[in-house]
Amino acid sequence: MKKTKKSMPLDQVQRGGRFRVLQVNAESASLTQLMALGLVPGVEVRLTHRAPLLDPLAIEFGGCHVSLRREDAAQVTVGVC
Amino acid sequence: MAMTQNIVLIGNPNTGKSSLFNALTGAKQRVGNYPGVTVEKKSGIWNLDSKHSVQLFDVPGTYSLSAQSPDERIAVDVLTGQVEGLSVPDLIIAVVDVQNLQRNLFLVSQAADLEIPMVIALNCWDQAEKKGLQIDCALLASRLGVPVIPTVAHRHQGMDKLASAAQKALLDQPMMARPQWPTAVQTALDRLDRELNQQRAEGLRPGELQRLLFDRSSSVQNRLKTASCECQPLLKEVRRELYRAGYNPNAAESLLRFRFLNPLLGDIAARQSAIMQRSRSESIDQILLHRFWGLVVFVGMMYLVFQSVYSWASPFMDLIEGLTGGLQSRIAPLLDGMPMLQSLVVDGMIGGVGSFLIFLPQILVLFLFIALLEESGYMARAAFLMDKLFRWCGLNGKSFVPLLSSYACAIPGILSARTIADPKARLLTVLLTPLMSCSARLPVYILLIGAFVEPLYGPGIAGLTLFAMHVIGLCVAAPCAWLLHRFCLRGQPAAPYFMELPAYKPPNLRHIVGRVYASGRDFIVRAGTVIFAMTILIWALLYFPRSPELAQQLEQDFPAVLQDSSAAMDSLQAESARLQAMDAAYLEQSYLGRVGKWLQPVFAPAGYDWKITVGILASFPAREIIVSTLGIAYALGGDVDDQSSDLRSRLTAAKWESGPMAGQPVFNIAVALSLMVFFALCMQCGATVATLAQELNWAWAIASFGCVTFIAWLAAVATYQISHWILCTP
Repeated sequence: MKKTKKSMPLDQVQRGGRFRVLQVNAESASLTQLMALGLVPGVEVRLTHRAPLLDPLAIEFGGCHVSLRREDAAQVTVGVC
Repeated sequence: MAMTQNIVLIGNPNTGKSSLFNALTGAKQRVGNYPGVTVEKKSGIWNLDSKHSVQLFDVPGTYSLSAQSPDERIAVDVLTGQVEGLSVPDLIIAVVDVQNLQRNLFLVSQAADLEIPMVIALNCWDQAEKKGLQIDCALLASRLGVPVIPTVAHRHQGMDKLASAAQKALLDQPMMARPQWPTAVQTALDRLDRELNQQRAEGLRPGELQRLLFDRSSSVQNRLKTASCECQPLLKEVRRELYRAGYNPNAAESLLRFRFLNPLLGDIAARQSAIMQRSRSESIDQILLHRFWGLVVFVGMMYLVFQSVYSWASPFMDLIEGLTGGLQSRIAPLLDGMPMLQSLVVDGMIGGVGSFLIFLPQILVLFLFIALLEESGYMARAAFLMDKLFRWCGLNGKSFVPLLSSYACAIPGILSARTIADPKARLLTVLLTPLMSCSARLPVYILLIGAFVEPLYGPGIAGLTLFAMHVIGLCVAAPCAWLLHRFCLRGQPAAPYFMELPAYKPPNLRHIVGRVYASGRDFIVRAGTVIFAMTILIWALLYFPRSPELAQQLEQDFPAVLQDSSAAMDSLQAESARLQAMDAAYLEQSYLGRVGKWLQPVFAPAGYDWKITVGILASFPAREIIVSTLGIAYALGGDVDDQSSDLRSRLTAAKWESGPMAGQPVFNIAVALSLMVFFALCMQCGATVATLAQELNWAWAIASFGCVTFIAWLAAVATYQISHWILCTP
């Protein structure tokens, strides 16, 4: 069994797995806008795709599919559901 | 009624808001599929019933009012009555995608705090029903406190109900439920109210105070009457206090509003997320966003698009060219007695109109594809795949299509950059498009490669040269972008980047036709007039002066060949040679010819004589003109094309008339390469300059024209000097 860490940045999670948002760094302007779309602590999130050059990432939360850059995803902390 | 009432449509992008606007007003305009497409202010008349009509405004689709992008600023300004000639709206119609209530209602809830009556249109009702999603509209209406009307905008369903609800709401003034803020937030808002409204009479509504409190920067802040040296410290302090009380002001609004909305929608939303799992779009994305197959599909798709831009457009381009030529040869004899009028009409006017109409087929075909890609939802995926490749120099994934289309023609490329939401990336992309080697440069390459490269080095190197000419622009563009990004535009922060990947949907034929039509009309109306004017100007500079003395002088220099029946063929040839020589002499005497001679020293380091210089000057409205101007200058008559072997042999035979190199051939491989490089880089296209001015402004257009011309000159000189040293020294 692979050991799963309690919390990790969103850009490093396994693709396809379900995670729960623990914290979003509100200092990033991109992330505050994503918060307005519902990417807030407590929401379930999934990393659906990585672009060919590993950046940007595509995520899904609350039925909403969004692409965001890796540096922004790194500032979203998630934990296993 | 004294004044028409104003109703404003708000909603997230991709909710069918523009479709609803069309359905209500009957106005023709396009519908966007991802952020940034709807940027214009649109209005129309909405007939609520036979007697009562109101003015309906469509604001750009936004996810929130947090005023970061220009679109969101416009939305805030419209809703707070800050747009000129537009008072505070009497009613808001909030367009909400049923399939994503929570996210959509965030914006609506922000707007509710502006204390404007509201009606909610639950759009995409048909798709929700298809998915088995059932929503109790009456329950939702009673929880939110405003009428909730199910609609299917693109099928015009629910429009009557919406109209009667709006009519009733204009009288009843229903207000949507608003969140109860925690004490810390309420204290902060109260303090802003006290200091700004009571002490300084700013007259801000609660929603506007919230924008000041929660947003890093907002359009509300910019328009306060209070001096910024007074209100900045106040805002800073209030935000700091909120932070100390445990609420990060940047994040607080999202957290608190969703905390307020979730219980209201709880039972509905729970069912929703179960349904939303693994939608059909997601299965398609398994292939289209795949790290390998996604790229394969993307490259294939782009190949198809540009193949079609070339091949579909070319018969129409030939047709336009044929029509122009046919019209010219029909009209010319009618004006035989009036040489000046003849030249003005035939060369100036008909030639001028033809020179910009020729772009139309490519523009229409490219826009057909762009509309298809956008409407279907693929464009956002393409940007996703390409983003990283473009980011290092300040562009983003959406720059790909404009830059690639510029290889066909820069004009559709510049127009298609409208799809880029980030203003800085859009500016950079637009500035780079002219450096991509468009198809109009091809005649020049073919002529010069055919005359100088192929005979010397064979077809292999000739092909390589052609390829190099197409790459050189890219090699210059990338560092230029990087420099602009790092130094000139440093002050402008990059817009926050995120992009919705909207669900795939079959494109709507009406929207596509509308968008293609609008792009063609825009080009003809706005760019066409400027191009036409420039063509006439260059025509005049090439034609005048033609004083009688000069004509007499030329008649003497080139005496008419005596008609001799025994050598009719010979005399015919001699006559045409005489007319060609006279054309060349007129060209030398024209204003542009004189300027060319005067400017020749500038181009001397690139190895050009005055004839090439005139050719370059004459082709600033449209670069293809160089071929025919060289034809006149080297006395071959204006009717030449790139395939004409006569022109090739004339160029090879041309000798310097004077100066240190008198007697030596003008053209050698170094001059040919240098001229090609100049054409590959220089913005010799009036249409492009006009389009740049239309899309950015004249300052940018002129600045970029100047820069690109300088770069082209520099590169041409370098090419000549280096290749002369390598290839032409014995």
